[in-house]
Amino acid sequence: MGKDGQNGGPGCTRRQFLKGGASLPLGLVMAGGLVSIPYLRRTGGGEFMLRPPGALEEKRFLGACLKCGKCARVCPYGSIRLAGPEAGVAIGTPVIIPRKEPCYLCPDLPCVTACPSGALDRGVQEVEKVRMGTAVIVDRANCLSLRGLRCEVCYRNCPLMDKAITIEPRHNERTGTHTIMEPVVHHDKCVGCGICEKTCVRERPVIVVQKSPPRQDDHYEF
Amino acid sequence: MSFKRWTVARRCTQLAVVLLLASPLAGTTLFAGSLAAADIAGLPLVDPLAAVQAVLASRVHPAALLLPAAGVALSYLLAGGRTFCAWICPVYLMGEAGDRLRRFLGGGEKTFPLVAKQWLLLFVLVCTVVTGLPLFETVSPIGLTSRAIAYGSYGGAACLAGLLAIEVLLARRVWCRSLCPLGGFYSLLGRLSPVGVAFAPARCNDCGECSRVCPVEEVLEPVLARSAERVVSGECTRCGSCIDICPHGALGLGKVR
Amino acid sequence: MALSRRDFLKASAAAAALAAATGGRLGVDDAEAAEGGLKWGKAPCRFCGTGCGVLVGVKDGKIVATKGDPAAPVNKGLNCIKGYFLSKVLSGKDRLTKPLIRKGNRMVEASWDEAMSLIASKFKESIAKHGPDSVAIFGSGQWTVFEGYAAAKLFKGGIGTNNIEPNARFCMASAVTGFMSTFNSDEPMGCYDDLDLGDTYFLWGANMAECHPVLFSRLIDNRLKNQKVKIIDFGTRHTRTSQMADMYIRFNPQTDLALLNGIAHIIVRDKLYDESFIRKHVVFKKGKTNIGYGLEDKFKFADDPKPMSFDEYREFLAPYTPEYVSRLSGVPVNTIEEVARLYADKKRKVNSLWTMGFNQHVRGTWVNNLVYNVHLLTGKICKPGENPMSLTGQPSACGTAREVGTFTHRLPADMVVTNEEHRKKAAEIWGVPVEKIPAKPTYHATEMFRALDRGDIKVLWVQVTNPFQSAPNLSRYRKGARKGGGRFIIVSDIYPTRSTELADVILPSASWVEKEGFFGNAERRGQQWFKMVDPPGEARNDLWQTIELAKRLGYGNLFPYRYVEKEIFEEYRKFTVGGKDLAPYEAYTRARGLRWPYVNGKETLWRYAEGYDPYVKAGEGVKFYKNKPTDGRAVIWARPYEPAAEVPDKQYPFWLCTGRVLEQWHTGTMTGRVPELKRAYGTAVCEMHPDDAKRLGIKQGGKVKLTSRRGSIVLTADLRGRGKAERGNVFVAFFDENKLINELCIDAYCPISGEPDYKKCAVKVEKA
Ligand code: SF4
Ligand code: SF4
Ligand code: SF4
Ligand code: SF4
Repeated sequence: MGKDGQNGGPGCTRRQFLKGGASLPLGLVMAGGLVSIPYLRRTGGGEFMLRPPGALEEKRFLGACLKCGKCARVCPYGSIRLAGPEAGVAIGTPVIIPRKEPCYLCPDLPCVTACPSGALDRGVQEVEKVRMGTAVIVDRANCLSLRGLRCEVCYRNCPLMDKAITIEPRHNERTGTHTIMEPVVHHDKCVGCGICEKTCVRERPVIVVQKSPPRQDDHYEF
Repeated sequence: MSFKRWTVARRCTQLAVVLLLASPLAGTTLFAGSLAAADIAGLPLVDPLAAVQAVLASRVHPAALLLPAAGVALSYLLAGGRTFCAWICPVYLMGEAGDRLRRFLGGGEKTFPLVAKQWLLLFVLVCTVVTGLPLFETVSPIGLTSRAIAYGSYGGAACLAGLLAIEVLLARRVWCRSLCPLGGFYSLLGRLSPVGVAFAPARCNDCGECSRVCPVEEVLEPVLARSAERVVSGECTRCGSCIDICPHGALGLGKVR
Repeated sequence: MALSRRDFLKASAAAAALAAATGGRLGVDDAEAAEGGLKWGKAPCRFCGTGCGVLVGVKDGKIVATKGDPAAPVNKGLNCIKGYFLSKVLSGKDRLTKPLIRKGNRMVEASWDEAMSLIASKFKESIAKHGPDSVAIFGSGQWTVFEGYAAAKLFKGGIGTNNIEPNARFCMASAVTGFMSTFNSDEPMGCYDDLDLGDTYFLWGANMAECHPVLFSRLIDNRLKNQKVKIIDFGTRHTRTSQMADMYIRFNPQTDLALLNGIAHIIVRDKLYDESFIRKHVVFKKGKTNIGYGLEDKFKFADDPKPMSFDEYREFLAPYTPEYVSRLSGVPVNTIEEVARLYADKKRKVNSLWTMGFNQHVRGTWVNNLVYNVHLLTGKICKPGENPMSLTGQPSACGTAREVGTFTHRLPADMVVTNEEHRKKAAEIWGVPVEKIPAKPTYHATEMFRALDRGDIKVLWVQVTNPFQSAPNLSRYRKGARKGGGRFIIVSDIYPTRSTELADVILPSASWVEKEGFFGNAERRGQQWFKMVDPPGEARNDLWQTIELAKRLGYGNLFPYRYVEKEIFEEYRKFTVGGKDLAPYEAYTRARGLRWPYVNGKETLWRYAEGYDPYVKAGEGVKFYKNKPTDGRAVIWARPYEPAAEVPDKQYPFWLCTGRVLEQWHTGTMTGRVPELKRAYGTAVCEMHPDDAKRLGIKQGGKVKLTSRRGSIVLTADLRGRGKAERGNVFVAFFDENKLINELCIDAYCPISGEPDYKKCAVKVEKA
C-alpha cells in the first residue's frame, strides 16, 4: 500500500497549501481558538446545571459527554433536555430543569445505561447512590410548612421520603396548640432528583436543588 | 449515461440517515441518539473522533465507548474513510444543496487546500487535551445538525445558516473540503482503505467532466495525469459522482489497495 | 340578597371587634388590608370536616385572597395546603355559568326558566305516572344547612317521598348508626379540645396526617408538650400518620372487629373495667348475627336487639382470646395485651379516633359499637381529654346530613320517619299534614342508584356531589343512569364532572362564599358565613334552585321566607330545642362557630358530662340522657367478627383499599382546578408493596393493571410513595376523574348503616 508514492497526497504539498492563501484563515481560526481557551476552561464551573443521574463531576462530565442525547431519548418522562446555545460550551449536553420535569429516579436508571461515553457513570446502579445535587430550602420565610401550615408537599413527594427529607415537628409558639412540621433535607441522603423543587406549591420554589457541597472529611463517625 | 446509479444510491442513503435520525420524534425506538453516538436496533455506535476527544478530555475510557468506536472506525476503514462524509453526514448533504444554489446564483468559486482539515484536527485534539473539553463537539455543525434533526433543538441554526452563506457566496464547499476535522479524521482512514475509485486510462478521453463534479477535484489529478491508476487519496469521499458522470466508463469502484 | 350583603359588612366589623378583643391580630390584618381595599369576611374552609376558619379577602366583587382565620379556635390561622389555595377553587376556567339541557348528545345552553320548567314538568309527569317515590334527590355533606333543610322539607313534607339521601351515606352513615345504637343520639360527646388534653390516642383506620391535617398538627403538638402522650395507629396501610405515630399496628383487613373484641376480652378477663361506671351507665345488648352484605337489590335488614347480662357478654367475649385474635388479625399476642392495658390504664386519658376505615365497612355499625364498648367498659368517656371521636370528611357531614337529617329514614335533629311522634313534630313545624310524611324509609344511597338502574326511580336530582364518580361498583350505576326509559337526571354543580356528563340538565351553581351558608364540623361546631361575591355568569344558589322547583310544583307556600337563609335556620332551630340546641342565627354571625347544645348563651364542649352539658344534672356525673329507652344508659353491644363481603382468593388475590391524599379532596372537582395541587399530586397511582411488585415483575413507575370482578383499570405503580401498602394489599386514591377506581369497588354495605365498604374488595394485580 502506498508504494506508488502518492499516498496521503492531498492534492497539494504543504508549501503549495500555504502559498495557496490558506495561512490567513487557518491562522485566524487557530488564534481565535487559543484566545478562547481560558474562557472555555472557566465555563465548566459556571452556573449549576442539574445533570442526569450518575453524571461525573461537572468538568469531567463536560469532557466526556458526547452530546449524543441518548440519555434524553430513553428518559420515559422527558426529564432530560439538551442545553441550547445559551449554555456556551455545554451546548447539547443533557440537563434537567426540575420545575419543568424532574428526574423520577427510574429503578433501572435507563439514562445511565444509555450513556455511551461514561459521562453518566455506569458504576451508579442504585437510585440511592445517585448524587445529582442537593436540595436546599432556600427561602425559609416563604415555606408554608415553616409557617405552620400543613403543606409538606415536597416531603410527601420525595422518592426518598423519610430519608432525604424528614419532618421535624416542633411546637408552634404562635398558636400554642399546633405543630410546625418542618421539612429537613439530609444532605447525605438527598439524591438531587428535583421532585421536591418541581412540586413545591409556591410560585417560585422554596426548595431548590443546588450543587452538592464538596465533602469535607474528618474522622467523626456520626 | 443518464442513470446515475451511485448518486441515486447515495441520495437514498442520505435521506435514510435523516429519516433515521428523526425517527424517534415519531415515537419509534429503532434509533436513539445522534451522529456522535447512537443505538440502531440496539447496536451501539460511537463516532470514533468523538470518542477520542472524550477520552482525551475526561480521561474516562469505558469499554462501552471504545468498542463501538473502534468498530465504527474499522468499518469506515474498510468502506473508504470519507464514505461517512458523502453517504452519511447531513452537513455534506447540506453542502451539496448549497453548492447547487451557489452555481445557480453564480457565487464565489474560491477553494482552500484540503489539508487544512488535518491541521485543524490536530489543533482540536491539542485543545481538547489542554482545555479538558471536547472542543469540536461544542461547535461541530454536524452535532448541531444531527441534534436539530433528532431532537428538534434548533439552537445552533444560526451558525449553520452562516456557514451555508459562506459556502454559497464565497468559498465552494469550504467546510467539507478544508475545515471539518471529522472529515480530516476520516480522510486519514481513507488513506488506508482498500475501497476506492479505479481508473481505466485507455477509456478516458480527458473530457474533464469528472473533475467538474468532484467536490475534492484535487484527488483526480494524479489519475488524469496518468500518473496513477487508482484514486488513492484519503480525501476522496467515495461519492461516486465521477463514476456516474464519466461518459466513457473510465471510472469505476474497485479495490485500490 | 341585599340584606345579607349588608349583614356581611356589618359582620366583618363585628369580626374585627371580636378579634380586637381576642388579641387584636385581626384588627392589624384589617388595617393592612384596608390599604389594598380588601374586605375580609369569615367562612369555614370548603373542604374537610375539620372545619378550619378562614378569612376571605374580597375586592371589587372578586375573591382575591384567603387566609387562615387567626381567631378561629380550630386552626388559629393555619390551614392545610388545600385550604391555602381556597381562593383558586372557585375560579377554574371551566366554571359552569349557564343552565344546559341535553339535546341528543349535545348540551345546549338554556335559560333558567326553560331549565326549571323542564325539570318541573319531568317531576310532575313522573309523580303523576309512577308516584312520588319515582323522584329523588341526592345531596351532600357539602350542602349548607339551608340547602339540606329545604330539600328535606320539599321532598318529605311537600312531594311526600323519603327519596332523599346525602353522599354522607357513603362516608358517615356507620358513625351515625353507631352513635344511634349505642347512645341514641348522633354525634360525638367530645370535641377537638380532647386532642390537646388527652395522653393516649388510638387511631383506627384514620390517616389523620393527610385527611385531617390541621387536627393532626394539634395532636402532634400535644405530644411535643407532654412526654407521656402516645399515639397508636391501627391500620392496614402504613401512612404518614403511622410514620409519626409511636406505634403502628398493622392488621389484616376486617379484623378490627376481632381486635376490639380481643381488647374487651382482656379488659374483662383481667377485670380492668370500671365496675361502678358499668353499673351506673351501661346496659348490654346483642343483635342479629350473620347479617349479610346487601349485595342483592332491595336487600332489607332490621336488627332485633335483645338485652343481655354482663355475664352473657363475658361469655360472648370468651372466644376472642389474644391467641385467636392474633391468628385472625396478624397482630402479635403481646401487642394485643399491651394495647388492652393501655386502653384500661387508669392513669391514662384514652381517646379513640377513626374515620373511613371504620365507617366504610360492611360491619361499620358494629365496629363503631365495639370501640364504644371499650370506652364504656373502662369508663373513659365524656371526660375532657378522654373520648371516642369519629372524624368527618366533609365540611357539613355533621351540620347538614346528620343534624338536618337528609337521609331517607331521618327527620331533623335525631328524629326518624318511622316514629309517629317525630313525624307529627316535623309536620307541625313544617306546616304540612302529618300524612304527607311517609312513615317508611325508601332507598339509602346505594339502593337509590340501584333503583335508578332498575327504573324504579325516574327522576334524580344530584346537588353538590359527584356520585357518578364516587359510588361503588360504579359501572353499573353509570350505565343505569343512561338507560333511557324515562330516566331523567339533573345535576347541579360548579364544574363539569363525571356526573354532569350523564345529566339531562346541568344547573350552574353558586358555591361557598358566592352564597350565604352554614356548615357543621366534626366537633358539633356550627359555622356561618355571608355571601361575599356574586357567582359567575348565571350560576345560582342550590337553595334557590330547590325552592324554585318547589314553587313550580306548587309547594311555594312551604318556603314563605324573605331573608331565606336566616328564616330557614330559625325554623330548623325549632327542631333542635331541648336536645341539639342550636344558637340563634345572630350568634353564629358573630362567633367563630359554636358547639351545640348551645344553652343559655353557652356552647357545650363535652356532652353527657356534668358541668359541661346543661342537660346533665348536678350529682349525675355522666348521663346518657338521650337514651330514654334504656333509662339514660349507653349500650355495650355484643358484635362478633364476621368476614368481609369479598375476600382475596386465588383468582383475585389482593385486597384493594381506596382513600384520599392531602392535596386532593373528594372527587377532585375543586382541588383539581388548582394547578399547584395538581402538580403536587395530579394522578391516582397504585401503591403496592415492593415484594409483591417484584414477584409480579412490576417496577416503580411501571404500569399495573388492577382487575376486580366489576372492572379493571391501568395505573402507575408506586412502591415508595407516601403510603406503604402491606403485602397483599394495594391502595388507590379516588379523586382522579380519569381513573375511576370505584368501578372496581364492591357495592356491599353495612346492613345497618347502608354504608358501602370502599376499603375492601378483591383484585387481581398484573403488569400492564
Ligand atoms: S433516572 Fe429515569 S427519570 Fe431520571 S433522568 Fe434517568 S431516565 Fe430520566
Ligand atoms: S432532590 Fe428533593 S425530592 Fe429528590 S431526593 Fe433530594 S430531597 Fe428528595
Ligand atoms: S412544598 Fe414548598 S412550601 Fe411546601 S413544605 Fe415544601 S418547601 Fe415548604
Ligand atoms: S381541608 Fe380541612 S384541614 Fe385543610 S384547611 Fe380545610 S378544613 Fe382545614
